[in-house]
Amino acid sequence: MSGAPLVEVRGLTKAYTEGDVERVVLRDVDATIGRGELAVLLGRSGSGKSTFLNLISGIDLPTAGEVVIDGTCLTRLSERERTLFRRRHIGFVFQLFNLIPTLTVEENLRLPLELNAVPGDGHRAALALLEMVGLADRAKSFPDRLSGGEQQRIAVVRALAHDPPLILADEPTGNLDLETGRQVLAVLDRLTREAGKTMLMATHSREVIGIADRIFTIDHGRLVESS
Amino acid sequence: MSRAILWRSSLRYLLRHPWQTGLSILGIALGVAVVAGIDLANASARRAFALSAESVTGRATHQVIGGPSGLPDGVYRRLRVDARVRPSAPVVDGYVAAPNFPGRTFHLLGIDPLADRSFRGYLGGAGTEPDLAALMARPGAGLLVSQTAQQMRLAPGDTFAIRVGGVRRTISLVGLLEPADEMSRHALESLLVTDIASAQELLGLRGRLSRIDLVVPDGPEGASMLARIRRVLPPGADVVRASERSRVVGEMTRAFDVNLAALSLLALMVGTFMIYNTMTSSVVERRESIGLARALGVTRREIFTLLIAEAGLVGLIGTALGLTLGIVLARGLLRLVTQTINDLYFVLSVREVAITSAALLKVVALGLGATVLASLAPALEATAAPPRAVLSRSTIEARVRRSVPRLAATGLLLLLSGAGLLLVSRTSLALSYTALFALMLGFALLTPGATVLLMLALEPLMGRLFGVLGRMSARSVVQSLSRTSVATAALMISISATVGVGIMVGSFRQTVQRWLEASLTADVYVSSPGVVPSRTDSPLDPALVRALASAPGVASVSTHRGVTVESATGPTRLVALGIASPRYFTFHLKAGTPESVWTAWEGGGAVIVSEPYAYRHGAHVGSSIRLRTDRGEREFAVAGVFYDYASDQGVVAMSRRTYERFWDDRGVSAVAIRAAPGESVEALIAALRRAAPGSPELLIRGNRALREASLEIFDRTFAITAVLRLLATIVAFAGILNALMALQLERAHEVGVLRAHGLTPSQVWGLVTSQTGLIGLCAGVLAIPVGIVLALVLTLVINRRSFGWTLEVEIGAGLLIEALLLAVLAALLAGLPPSAKMARTPPTRALRDE
Repeated sequence: MSGAPLVEVRGLTKAYTEGDVERVVLRDVDATIGRGELAVLLGRSGSGKSTFLNLISGIDLPTAGEVVIDGTCLTRLSERERTLFRRRHIGFVFQLFNLIPTLTVEENLRLPLELNAVPGDGHRAALALLEMVGLADRAKSFPDRLSGGEQQRIAVVRALAHDPPLILADEPTGNLDLETGRQVLAVLDRLTREAGKTMLMATHSREVIGIADRIFTIDHGRLVESS
Repeated sequence: MSRAILWRSSLRYLLRHPWQTGLSILGIALGVAVVAGIDLANASARRAFALSAESVTGRATHQVIGGPSGLPDGVYRRLRVDARVRPSAPVVDGYVAAPNFPGRTFHLLGIDPLADRSFRGYLGGAGTEPDLAALMARPGAGLLVSQTAQQMRLAPGDTFAIRVGGVRRTISLVGLLEPADEMSRHALESLLVTDIASAQELLGLRGRLSRIDLVVPDGPEGASMLARIRRVLPPGADVVRASERSRVVGEMTRAFDVNLAALSLLALMVGTFMIYNTMTSSVVERRESIGLARALGVTRREIFTLLIAEAGLVGLIGTALGLTLGIVLARGLLRLVTQTINDLYFVLSVREVAITSAALLKVVALGLGATVLASLAPALEATAAPPRAVLSRSTIEARVRRSVPRLAATGLLLLLSGAGLLLVSRTSLALSYTALFALMLGFALLTPGATVLLMLALEPLMGRLFGVLGRMSARSVVQSLSRTSVATAALMISISATVGVGIMVGSFRQTVQRWLEASLTADVYVSSPGVVPSRTDSPLDPALVRALASAPGVASVSTHRGVTVESATGPTRLVALGIASPRYFTFHLKAGTPESVWTAWEGGGAVIVSEPYAYRHGAHVGSSIRLRTDRGEREFAVAGVFYDYASDQGVVAMSRRTYERFWDDRGVSAVAIRAAPGESVEALIAALRRAAPGSPELLIRGNRALREASLEIFDRTFAITAVLRLLATIVAFAGILNALMALQLERAHEVGVLRAHGLTPSQVWGLVTSQTGLIGLCAGVLAIPVGIVLALVLTLVINRRSFGWTLEVEIGAGLLIEALLLAVLAALLAGLPPSAKMARTPPTRALRDE
């Protein structure tokens, strides 16, 4: 965890207009996340955690400020450029709906490999990923046949499939029971650390604090780092 | 870069939604089938005409033609001897019916077998050489194409009956024609070849020729030949290009073709709405998948391409299916199209559908094009959605409601553009129909706004009638506006087309009926059965006419002679009337007064022209028209313009006296007889039959019978529009079924919550059904003004520009109520499967997460 930070945000502000009212979700946020760090973003529901992740990933554009990932300023890129950047550099784990329902488990894993034109045998690569989470026998299943925990484990390996430097996880255990959530969290922590990935996880669960290298809290639009 | 996985995802989505996918395919298929069916039927008729004309014309480049009674046969001798024109062949031709073979009409072609060989090669075709000696020597000998003879179960040596001018004659089959190829066999299947003398005898043209075919070389040699020919021609004769004559005749059905094609496009338009609705549904249903894919780095362009390709696949399957259905439909429609052409324009026999690659390509392009066009907006919507913004259903619906004013503004703009285009498009049919489609699209875009307003108005009533559930029904239509408005628009377009075309046809029928009542004032009409029912060309035997005139009970006789003469603007329909008294001058005049017209008509040799003629040729009271007479070209002053709905080509009418001054023809095609006071029509008819004992085929009809027969032709002509309207309604029904199924399945969770709260299955059924009924009511209510606008455009603009007729618009309340009920019924029926499914689904399954 040394050298230039992987993620830098400077003066990040995001406001939404709802009718005649302007709602400021993020207000002049500055932060950096070093390479290999696991940063956790806490905050109650609706505090702006998902908005922050969307801005970091380039899915959304800030009202003001900059986002720099691995030396590239996302806010200066076109929508297409941001999409292509995201394709290569970011892996996602969401709370819900991580897998495309009309693709098998294996196909869901191969999708990022195909998008990035990763050479080699996609089938073998997908199976190897599934082995890591003990679900190699579910390769041909469709997502609706899997439990919530199984889907989240597959989402974790899918996020790593194309070897992105940054993993963004938005409430990855929010829809799971306590025990299953712990299992998924353990898998996420293990695999990202083993691979030396940088991860930013948004959550309202205090359980995650124990595995975090850095803890941020969003409150009234401001980002505060806790020790 | 391979996107195989994404394509696979798309394909599986389509397969997992078989009903939606199937109905979309069906919508396009039906739309394409109607377009293909009409196009193929029209193209087959045109092709059959062109082939037939070409085959009969043979190698002739030019033709010498005369007036209504043709050319004196001495002209042929003068051409060959005085003008030294060698490649020339005399022809006598006409149309005859085969009374023992219903539906069979023959083009009787009388030729000089020796002169004709270099013009029409089928006399010396491969295979059997017909017995030309027997053809020339035996009166009434004829040749048929072998295929035709086979179908009629005839062989050389057999005889069969033909009917000419109401009289039966016998033809002896002395040989068979064996054209070199299949195409020629089809083209010549209605040809009956006889010797020229036999033809003159059979057609009552002794000493006359219909024309003389020529081969004129190009260049100075040809010009010199033409000059020599013109020097020996009598006044009233001329030499014209053979292909030009065929082209002009073929053009007669152009307006009819265009109108049919435009109506068929209506069905495709409704099918297009279906695709739009399905694509929108699928994008909404897959919003999370699309959002996820975008978050993973799939670009907007890739999503767009995927969705368009998906639609393209549906369109391809639908188009392929539609083409197959269209070919089947074309076979049925061909009969109707051919019947109309035969009823109104000219004799045409078409036995089978001609499928050309150009026609197929056109239909494929239309089907695929419509699908892709309909999919553009939803595909763009999908790419515009921010990834993982997870557009909730409510967000989408809120966005749609916000866009209602914009849609309405665009709709109004389209309406204004359409109206403007109608004003500036003058006589162009293509622009007129473009304007019409712009108007319909404009109304479709106004549908969401109108739906919102209508539901706001109906909500209190629904609440009073059905309580909270009633209010819910009305509100849910607005809440799901992105779905309901498209389904409503599709149904509205289809029903409005039914209303519009129904009003147009009804108005037309009423106008024709009134015109018939005003124009047909004689008690009995006598004519020989023509091969084109709307025209009486075959002359009656003069002795017969005298016998009819002197039959007991006859007060007065007016004569009618219908012929085609040449003019500067091409073949012109001319009617010469011998009207016994100005009292019987019953033309309904559009311009000119009866008194002034009668004076000019009887005394001044003036003509009156029908409204379509005046429209097509710019004729008016005070102008003049040039016609080629047997005395050379003459100008005739136009004294009046009259309403006439018998022919869209237009008619020039003159007095018998004027006709006989300028033409040698003394034939009478029909007579109109007035009964003596106290004489009943039935008794008069009986007396007339007794006066014409040798003419059993004669058509002797009372006033009412003739009016009914005329209206029968009218009804047959519009039978095809009834078929098209039915098909467009079926497409709309499939569309609304598709939309309602998607909508109700989306509401499964909501219904599950209601069931959990205690709503019974029958209450669920009632809720869903009342919603679909409201959609139908909305579509029906909106369809009425739209249908009326459509009717006005069709009647006052398009009909006028196509045919030149003035029609009185009549809007019957019955038709409007029928349309409203049809819309509600269609929606209710379409709502039955989804409402039954929703009512049956246990709450637990409905509440379960995906």
